[in-house]
Amino acid sequence: MSALDLVRKHWRISLLVVLVAISAVVLFAPGFGPDDAGGEPTADTGPTNLQFGLELSGGTRIRAPLAGLTAEGLDVQAGQETEIESQVAEELGISVRNVNAYPGEPEVEDDGTIEITTETVTEEEFLAALRASNYDVEEGDVRRGVTEDTVDDAVEVLEEKISRSPFAAGEVRKSTSSTGEHFVVIEVPGEDRETVIDLIEDRGFVQVYAHHPTEVGYENTTAIQPDDINSIGEPTDEPPYGPHISITLNEAGAEDFSRVMQETGFTQEGVESCRWDQNRDDPGYCLLTVVDGEVVYSASLGESLAASIESGAYVDDPRFVMSGESIEDVRQLRINLLAGETPAPLDIEAGTQYYLEPSLADDFKLYSLITGFVAVVAVAGAVAFRYSRPRIAGPMILTAAAEVFLLLGFAAAVGYPLDLAAIAGFIAVVGTGVDDLIIIADEILQEGDVSTGRVFESRFRKAFWVIGAAAATTIIAMSPLAFLSLGDLTGFALFTIVGVLIGVLVTRPAYGDVLRVLLTTDR
Amino acid sequence: MLDSTVPVVEYSRYSNRQLAAVPIALLALSLLVIAGMWVATGTPVDPGIDFTGGTELQIQTDAPRGEIVAAFETEPVSIQSIATQEGEYIVTFQSTDTGAIEQQATEAGFTVTSISSTSAAFGAETQYQAVVGVAIAFVGMSVLVALMFRTFVPSIAVVLSAFSDIVIPVALMNLFGIQLSLGTVAALLMLIGYSVDSDLLLNNHVLRRRGDFYESTHRAMRTGITMTVTSILAMLVMTSVATLFAIPLLPAIGIVLVFGLLADLMNTYLLNVSLLRWYKYEGVGR
Repeated sequence: MSALDLVRKHWRISLLVVLVAISAVVLFAPGFGPDDAGGEPTADTGPTNLQFGLELSGGTRIRAPLAGLTAEGLDVQAGQETEIESQVAEELGISVRNVNAYPGEPEVEDDGTIEITTETVTEEEFLAALRASNYDVEEGDVRRGVTEDTVDDAVEVLEEKISRSPFAAGEVRKSTSSTGEHFVVIEVPGEDRETVIDLIEDRGFVQVYAHHPTEVGYENTTAIQPDDINSIGEPTDEPPYGPHISITLNEAGAEDFSRVMQETGFTQEGVESCRWDQNRDDPGYCLLTVVDGEVVYSASLGESLAASIESGAYVDDPRFVMSGESIEDVRQLRINLLAGETPAPLDIEAGTQYYLEPSLADDFKLYSLITGFVAVVAVAGAVAFRYSRPRIAGPMILTAAAEVFLLLGFAAAVGYPLDLAAIAGFIAVVGTGVDDLIIIADEILQEGDVSTGRVFESRFRKAFWVIGAAAATTIIAMSPLAFLSLGDLTGFALFTIVGVLIGVLVTRPAYGDVLRVLLTTDR
Repeated sequence: MLDSTVPVVEYSRYSNRQLAAVPIALLALSLLVIAGMWVATGTPVDPGIDFTGGTELQIQTDAPRGEIVAAFETEPVSIQSIATQEGEYIVTFQSTDTGAIEQQATEAGFTVTSISSTSAAFGAETQYQAVVGVAIAFVGMSVLVALMFRTFVPSIAVVLSAFSDIVIPVALMNLFGIQLSLGTVAALLMLIGYSVDSDLLLNNHVLRRRGDFYESTHRAMRTGITMTVTSILAMLVMTSVATLFAIPLLPAIGIVLVFGLLADLMNTYLLNVSLLRWYKYEGVGR
């Protein structure tokens, strides 16, 4: 018999061998390792290409909804969005940035949406503002939360913030509950809760105000907005500025800045005259760096800069130094400027938070591996005791081990970060897997020799009815966990389902074949 | 060739009523325990912070228990020491002001090794999803079983066994003071899949094979008991090793599966067998 014929005859075993080989390559070969979109290698994965989730690697996970209010089914004509936004914002006395109007599908009547992206407005106030803007709305028309588009935008901004942060690695994704509520899930390996919350908690809308005296008292005029900025330098801590970043304005921004500085008197009487830290009620001429409405730094307009603005040379070299109290502050400023503003505030208290110390996680990783191994040994022992013939028990244990190996290969191939739930799923798969192998073995070994291939086939098929039926019920039972996004158990469900599928389609048929080879040549 | 590790039950000596009496009585007792819990506390099981909302802190400290309580402004719901790790405690709060709790722990000199917090609203949502999830899984399994057997009594036998396989562990959780967590919900769902295996095997042998009822039952038992005992062994080992190493989640999943599989042994070979025998000898003619 040629080698090809042999492969063809025992295709079930051949398929298993091929898949085990592929798994080995995916698991151990360099080059199959996980990498992020930027191509930079993420966390060290050890000797294998397996990725580990937070519960086995340590770090912080924040799951939070975005705060805001949304009214759907309103008449918003395309082209009128800006007008509606400013009208509603004025009614509520909030910034127009925190009101978004979307027209929806043009053919559908009343398909527009208006959302508020700040936590300061109550449902009643929003209803009143909508009524004042001639919308006929009732109490049930306003829901808490923001639109899906806003959530998607927030995910992008937060991703950017994390990738610009000192720890760089991290993942942000959207998760939607069965009731349609959207959450933003932020996972940062290795970092503690406070560090992560500090980074993402603020929306990070950075502005520079020109705070100056007028005849009727002090006024704030916007001097620099994120739109005005062309490029941002690295954070540095050097005299004479202290911790700072150097930013370059674009042409329009430089012109605006020059105009505001000249019109408000900064370049004349205002030069070097800021006393913000001494006297906030009468501080003189101050450039205030403001993040989400809070002043984080104050500075005067320097003499040389004032001269350059007066002479008109500034527009040709529009550099501006943004200072901060500490290098961390400046770094955060830079992140906020680069990533932009989170489109709505994160309501961290309304979600879930999780932190695990990396060293404890390492313990869990090792210990859960041992747990899994001991469980497999226990199963192997039970099987060996029950079927004292090594020809039956040996392949059974090997097949169960192959099943786990294939599942690990699957995890590495799709880059699924393993967590405790997934490990529990693995152990469950060993359990169901061995159950099915026992069914096959008992069916084939029943009284009467397996003398011919025909007898074997018929017994194998009978065994498979039960196995298939049992697999189908397990998959049905696990599917709610996989699809309902029930907390952190998706891994458990996913691996149980995939494990059962691998078992029914590949490993268990192969075990039948192995038994056939071993038993029909037994005489 | 096949050894005799599996006991031979002389089914013919007992009537169907006698066989079914024990599992039905245990099922009724379990439902009573759950109902009692419901009346006493307002929930059928004790929900953990996954469902009620709250904060759980794992801390490391040499301080005695009393000092741990004193360190926090809000009173902890519970303080559990981890049996195998000295000076490690899991402190649970109803409050979700996680930042403040973490700060108080750090100020008291405790090393915080793990934090997990869930808001009450999110917990309620999770609870709703868990109930819906278990319901969908159970109904899905029932429909599938009905489609596979296409006869009333054998299908009902499987579904009733599976129902009891879930109810008995839940009652045992109440008795042993095990909280309902996402892990235990997963275990209950897994039980739906696991427990049906041996019932399917039994029904298949009795209904779809030629041969005497008792012989078919005996064959199915020989295979089925090996299966279930192997699974119990795997779960028992997982539970004890994971408890020893203080790994979260795994012990909860393991112990509930052990409860359920033990219940399954009884339900399959007493309840399901008696229903099948009734169906085979008396029910078919009707």
